[in-house]
Amino acid sequence: MAGGGFDAPETGGGRGKKKKSKVKTGVHIDMTPMVDVIMLLLTFFILTTTLSAPQVMQINLPRGKEEDKVKVDMGNVLFIRVSDKGNIYFSKGNSDGTEQRPELIVFEKMKPKLEQIYNANNDLMILLKFDRKMKYEKMIDVLDEINRSKIERRYTFLPMEQPDKDIVISAGG
Amino acid sequence: MKIPKAKKRSGVKIDMTPMVDVIMLLLTFFMLTATFKAAESEAVSVNLPKSVNTDSVKIPAEDVMTILIDTDGDVFVDVDNYNVREKVFGNKFGMGLWHVDSTSQTSKQISPAPEVEGAYRLETGGSVRIVKLLNRESFEKTLIDLRLTLKNMTEGKSDFRIVVKGDRNAEFGVIEDLMAALKETRNTRFSLVTIIESEKEAQEE
Repeated sequence: MAGGGFDAPETGGGRGKKKKSKVKTGVHIDMTPMVDVIMLLLTFFILTTTLSAPQVMQINLPRGKEEDKVKVDMGNVLFIRVSDKGNIYFSKGNSDGTEQRPELIVFEKMKPKLEQIYNANNDLMILLKFDRKMKYEKMIDVLDEINRSKIERRYTFLPMEQPDKDIVISAGG
Repeated sequence: MKIPKAKKRSGVKIDMTPMVDVIMLLLTFFMLTATFKAAESEAVSVNLPKSVNTDSVKIPAEDVMTILIDTDGDVFVDVDNYNVREKVFGNKFGMGLWHVDSTSQTSKQISPAPEVEGAYRLETGGSVRIVKLLNRESFEKTLIDLRLTLKNMTEGKSDFRIVVKGDRNAEFGVIEDLMAALKETRNTRFSLVTIIESEKEAQEE
């Protein structure tokens, strides 16, 4: 390939530079600088690549208008109220329209508790009432916990109104 | 003859070709997978919340309507299509800013923009964005306008997908108002962006 234009006659006994230049040797290109540059580029791209690619949590809000409300049997309802301090309260509804006393749930216990409630009643409908002062992170945490539980994902958001706040405050805030 | 040859100190030549091949492959891989943030990056930096479970859906690559929520209660609406931006916000770098709390104003440093009437300049992280201040009503109108503009431009072929990026310390009240506005405009499907966290990490916390 390289040096093809050279006629390399065999000069017997020739030593030193003259012979070297004339003998067809594979041309050695010093790759070190190239490798250096490539390594730098590689390092740059490795470092700039964001490994923890953000993912998404799909939310579907009910499409209907306010007028066509869905009637839900209160016996299937589980209220999850979260106070402004981030405390989570579960309270189950009774079929007669009342609801049971709110129960403070430690975040770590939420998943088993949800599964337990779901196993007792497969028509479970979760109503989420979050305090407006609560952190967004807490909402994601709660949704995440619901998604992680082996239950049907049927939940909806409802505004936290004064009676809800009173319930939460009476249970400890 | 052989003995002196062995002792002769010749520079050891390692053939670097295979290594270079591998490195080149790696380089190509990282170059192709690297997602460059657009020059006019995100308007505000948000600290995304973590979650373990997601629907394993990545953020869509194009036709994204990004709604950013920061800790000050400001909601930014931005799209990745320049032409749509120009039509709706009057500038290629335009976006909407809705300060949810109607009793107060945004605490961001904004100055009137000479380019677009009624718009403001917002300097963010070295770049300038033109923001239009919105209220609840005009925010909803903007949402509809953005989607209609893209639909008209592409003859109904593409539609924006809504991605909500909220700061983990944002107040839920802002999200609640945003969800109400989205619901009002019949945007009932949207995605909340989170940083995925492995099951193990979550337990360690």
